[in-house]
Amino acid sequence: MGGVEQITLDGVSPGMDLGEVVFGPMKREDFKAYADASGDDNPIHQDEEYARNTGAPTVFAMGMLPAGYLAHAVSDWFGGPQHLRRFKVRFTTRSWPGDEIVCTGKVDSIEGHLVRVRIEARRRGEGPEGLNLEREQIAMTGEADVEVPN
Amino acid sequence: MADKELFFDLPVRPEHVQDFARAVGEDNPVFFDAEAAEQQGFPNIVAPPTFSTTQIFAVPRDQREHRLGADLDYGRVLHGEQEFVYKRLPVAGETLKGRMRIAKDFTKEGKRGGSMRFVTYESVFTDEAGDEVLTAYYTLIETSKDVG
Repeated sequence: MGGVEQITLDGVSPGMDLGEVVFGPMKREDFKAYADASGDDNPIHQDEEYARNTGAPTVFAMGMLPAGYLAHAVSDWFGGPQHLRRFKVRFTTRSWPGDEIVCTGKVDSIEGHLVRVRIEARRRGEGPEGLNLEREQIAMTGEADVEVPN
Repeated sequence: MADKELFFDLPVRPEHVQDFARAVGEDNPVFFDAEAAEQQGFPNIVAPPTFSTTQIFAVPRDQREHRLGADLDYGRVLHGEQEFVYKRLPVAGETLKGRMRIAKDFTKEGKRGGSMRFVTYESVFTDEAGDEVLTAYYTLIETSKDVG
């Protein structure tokens, strides 16, 4: 990756696709590392038995882990995290061990120096046995506002 | 809606910033290397955009419930939405002051019966000079008992 090249205003236009950044496949250890770093120690993300007792087939990712990937992708598209002015996501489905997280973005509008981007993260993978998930599903959608220099 | 508020500190420790950045797969040196951060105009390494969710260390769920009193049944609660509005990103070495309140609390009737309650916790973070750094909106959805 390492795509932290600075984008300028003349390099963006409405409708522009920002590309695709793929993270993962996520492992249970990634859930643990995120739990340790974030403080989200809800056992539903780490403890198989606990997760099953709640009716889930296995542990699943805390939403903020793929959301963190998506924020990472947006940061890289625009030359670094310091340009972000707003980041918003709505979670639509869970993501599971073994899933890749596919982050995409599209420029929606430009007002002055503020570029509004439609963002999306999809989970891609087989999913837990027995759930018969579609191989690719939208895990979250949202928008980001980024301040882009001339 | 109750006008209750909860105040807390969020120290931005360098090791914590690095661990968090690693956990979300970051590879930009501004999160890891003070010199690289300085070259970009920061006094120290920068916290990733979603770092302030670590406020969960500073305000555990029980304390939040006790002080703000949304009275949610966490067996039926999902994280529905998350939003951050930035003036700037936090920088390692500072301690942010957090002020949390319930900004929204409403119930939507579902199309197939049942209802969903949306509760949005707003946390405003300011720096040691009293200037706003960022605001986070954490929205939980509580589903009604008769919906799967």
